[in-house]
Amino acid sequence: MDEWKPNPAIKPHKKRSWYLAWKYKLMNQRALRKLCQTGAVLFLLVTVIVNIKLILDTRRAAYEEEEESAQDYDDEMLNVEVPRHPVSNKKVLDVEVYSSRSKVYVAVDGTTVLEDEAREQGRGIHVIVLNQATGHVMAKRVFDTYSPHEDEAMVLFLNMVARGRILIFTIKDEGSFHLKDTAKNVLKSLGSQVAPFLSWRDMWTFVGKKGGEVYGEKHAKSPALSTWGDPVLLKTEVHLTSVEDAECHWPDTELNRRRKRFCSKVEGYGSVCSCKDPTPIEFNPDPLKDNKVFDVPVAVIAGNRPNYLYRMLRSLLSAQGINPQMITVFIDGYYEEPMDVVELFGLSGIQHTPISIKNARVSQHYKASLTATFNLFPDAKFAVVLEEDLDISVDFFSFLSQSIHLLEEDESLYCISAWNDQGYEHTAEDPSLLYRVETMPGLGWVLRKSLYKDELEPKWPTPEKLWDWDMWMRMPEQRKGRECIIPDISRSYHFGIVGLNMNGYFHEAYFKKHKFNTVPNVQLKNVESLRKDAYETEIHRLLGEAEVLDHSKNPCEDSFVPDTEGRVYVMFIRMEQEADFTTWTQLAKCLHIWDLDVRGNHKGLWRLFRKKNHFLVVGVPASPYSSKKPSSVTPIYMEPPAKEEGAVAVPAVAAAEQT
Amino acid sequence: MQRINKNVVLALLSLTSLVFLLFQLYYYKFYLSQKNGAVFSKVRGSQSGQDSTRWHVIRKFLGLISSHNIPVYLIDPLILGLVDKDIEQIRSSPDGPSAECKYFCAQRDFTTFALLEKTWKHEVGLFRTAEKMGFQWLKIINKDPRLDGMDDLSGIEIPLHYIFKLASHAIHLVVFYERSGNYLWHGPLRLKQHMDRKFVPFRKLHFGRYPGAYEKPELVLVSIDDLKVQIPKNPSSFLEEMSHSRFLECRYREARAFFQLYPDDASLDAVEFRKKAKSLLHLAALTLNNLGVKFWLSSGTCLGWYRQCSVIPYSKDVDLGVFIRDYKADIIPAFQKAGLPLKHKFGKVEDSLELSFQGEDDVKLDIFFFYEEDDYIWNGGTQAKSGKKFKYLFPKFTLCWTEFVELKVHVPCETRQYVEANYGPDWKVPVKMWDWKSSPSNVQYNGVWPVDEWDDVIQIY
Repeated sequence: MDEWKPNPAIKPHKKRSWYLAWKYKLMNQRALRKLCQTGAVLFLLVTVIVNIKLILDTRRAAYEEEEESAQDYDDEMLNVEVPRHPVSNKKVLDVEVYSSRSKVYVAVDGTTVLEDEAREQGRGIHVIVLNQATGHVMAKRVFDTYSPHEDEAMVLFLNMVARGRILIFTIKDEGSFHLKDTAKNVLKSLGSQVAPFLSWRDMWTFVGKKGGEVYGEKHAKSPALSTWGDPVLLKTEVHLTSVEDAECHWPDTELNRRRKRFCSKVEGYGSVCSCKDPTPIEFNPDPLKDNKVFDVPVAVIAGNRPNYLYRMLRSLLSAQGINPQMITVFIDGYYEEPMDVVELFGLSGIQHTPISIKNARVSQHYKASLTATFNLFPDAKFAVVLEEDLDISVDFFSFLSQSIHLLEEDESLYCISAWNDQGYEHTAEDPSLLYRVETMPGLGWVLRKSLYKDELEPKWPTPEKLWDWDMWMRMPEQRKGRECIIPDISRSYHFGIVGLNMNGYFHEAYFKKHKFNTVPNVQLKNVESLRKDAYETEIHRLLGEAEVLDHSKNPCEDSFVPDTEGRVYVMFIRMEQEADFTTWTQLAKCLHIWDLDVRGNHKGLWRLFRKKNHFLVVGVPASPYSSKKPSSVTPIYMEPPAKEEGAVAVPAVAAAEQT
Repeated sequence: MQRINKNVVLALLSLTSLVFLLFQLYYYKFYLSQKNGAVFSKVRGSQSGQDSTRWHVIRKFLGLISSHNIPVYLIDPLILGLVDKDIEQIRSSPDGPSAECKYFCAQRDFTTFALLEKTWKHEVGLFRTAEKMGFQWLKIINKDPRLDGMDDLSGIEIPLHYIFKLASHAIHLVVFYERSGNYLWHGPLRLKQHMDRKFVPFRKLHFGRYPGAYEKPELVLVSIDDLKVQIPKNPSSFLEEMSHSRFLECRYREARAFFQLYPDDASLDAVEFRKKAKSLLHLAALTLNNLGVKFWLSSGTCLGWYRQCSVIPYSKDVDLGVFIRDYKADIIPAFQKAGLPLKHKFGKVEDSLELSFQGEDDVKLDIFFFYEEDDYIWNGGTQAKSGKKFKYLFPKFTLCWTEFVELKVHVPCETRQYVEANYGPDWKVPVKMWDWKSSPSNVQYNGVWPVDEWDDVIQIY
């Protein structure tokens, strides 16, 4: 920049000031003037360059600093998912609904949200609930209204759906045979013109808003009994409302935020989403004094039955002594709705990619869940294992708290279970009474970590073995003669009627009449007598005081047991060796208790209640307690029915209790 | 006249440019002179000694935390270093008011606290209160390593670090998780793409460059600069632990890929061997830890960890490495006391020492002692019948923690080089026939023991 000076060689001609001389020269000497101008321009250019350089350097330095601070700290996962496109702000949804004999589908804005063309499946009325503000599918149900009572379920469901939701109906195959007037009236009240006149093999589609306008309805009458109506395709438009209108205005609390998130996504959970008086989602049951299971993790094994899970978690969270922090829900598959339920209650949930099929899938899910539980709670010595289709008794944790030390101290124990396989309404009586049994009932049980880690986990059935995990656990190789402690009155209730090994008939026959404790804070009786040796003493004492029943009578008759209360009776049945359960099975059948395989036995002894009397059954001569049999008594023998039916049925449904 | 004006304007313009340019040069020089300077980290205040801002921020933070019943403890290495010097005095006067602000007032960008995850209920309320108090906060979450080994579970991501910032000071809250093996683990601090990289100078944080493993600390409540705070009972041992706390996660994904190629042996024998190897390893770890002898997984056991995250079922023994400088004469009696009799002893402390103990049912525990040279590390082998010596060379390595069969143990941080030195580039392929004298790729013939020393250097029981 030094060059930029008036040329020193050129001196002013006249005695003028330097400035004037300079000015003069500038004015007069074109060359010099040019030079100066070029110089100035050059100078400006340099300034600009220096400026740019400075800016660049500064930025680079700043960037380096930033790089430096963040280097090593960058998440390797650079392919972080691109934020999803915001739901389009479109105000109108195009809805297409198709109804025919063999296929139904529903498309919302070109996206198929329901498609069912499977044969022999999905008969009846399909219902889809859409959120009126977002257009998201909130519930999908199918009610087989060809069969009885399904219409009642549909009415129940429709009544639960919040006002303002968009409802889509379509019939596959047949949906009118058992569609009673009540249901038809509900459909009519939703705005359907056709519903009251729906008849045999009609095709029908309907789109409407609950408590509001009708967006469209199409109907095709069946021309004759033997044929179906023509397929119908309904195309219509649904106008979306604003989000504010679709939501309730609950006070802004953490709980209500969870509720809001839940209620804007799913439907069919009743009053939890009611605007006026929503049912609580936090329960705060009384804490237990001296709770020994407060720090025991609780693993809830779930599949895709979110309504079950909802009911189950409600009862679990209402149980006294529950510690919600210890609960983990393991969902078999990437199902959204069960996860929504888990989040509604503020619990933690883990999803599991399904491995294998059917029973093996359940079995692998169990293994992953148990391993994960002990990983997540490395301090835990035990884990409580629950399933999504159980109600949990209010004193479930009190029961465990009083008995868990036995599992810790008594090596001869395999588990503590809340479920008594033989504890039916008519065979269970005493909430404070516990038994030792050689079978593992499951359905709400406690697993010792050492048993799992040292024995079960390493040899758990691999995915290609289509075994039931519970049947496997009951095998002698695993159980090794150890026993489980169970209560007389179950602390869990199995309410699931849909499941892998479950159906309505089966549930009605074997589970519905199961006794379930509802009394809080039951003080268990004589827990120490459940230890291995003490229990033998206890049994001998019981048998010692028991009155021998009249063996000439028919044990199936009610009169077999006298009309007394609070007495102890004993009967002897024939049992040639340890595995001879012929007579027991027949007895179990006529007593209407679990007879599909042998449950609840302890060294050839069964304990239950009849007419409020303790009723002992001893298998002679296999049981070591046979010595208590008076020599005059002949053990009762009951022959299996001549038909082979029973024998065939047993292996097929033996596993059925687990779902 | 017009011409004059034009030139005047030009001159003036040039003049301003000159001034501007000079200013720029000056500024540039000023910037260059403090490359790491304060220009870009405006959070930093003056460099002069006392700073009550920090003390106030910490006080506020402790108030916030205690109002939510969250037990945190101080793990800031710089403060613990200071505290350690005066530990007696601090412990003896838990309530006495301090004359000056000695610890929490030194000018610093952040202070580090630890939080035990299981003592915390994850309430959202904490953050809302924090915001009301003026804190800005940042949460760093990542996937749960406790579920990492599980094939197909996708849990929710767990919080690993929190940073609370108020005015010019930040609180770095490290979340410690309990893991199988009875130890505490904290995660690495990794920023997701959208995160504010300048929230705090992340690079300067003391925790988070790597994940770390720690013993469960004993805590003590003390009063430091009039603030009640929990600190590790023995700050110096905590700092010691911190200096080599780096944790390596097992490579579960690679292990899964390995088992895809070579399905796991699920036979009863394999199950039994794994069980025995696990209990032997637990016993050995207990014994060596009690003696204070640092050890790591070596040879086949290390390969099993690195390649498949489990014990190799046909390996038939458990191999550990120990630096010869950590050798203690008590090792042999201690193992014998633990029920593991000495099976053989090869070499001597000065050269090629190797101990073998007999575990339950033929499962053997081998302890190889490693000798450090300037540019490599080696251990020795001896052939009993011929007295031949072998030398196995390894590139230099440091030790990291990992979790193996529910145990917190050391492995060489540079595991790949270690395993490759031992097993060659094809270590990924299972080899059932292994000859320790010829198979390893790092074996060197190392002469023969002098015959008169044989009684000493080849002891077989």
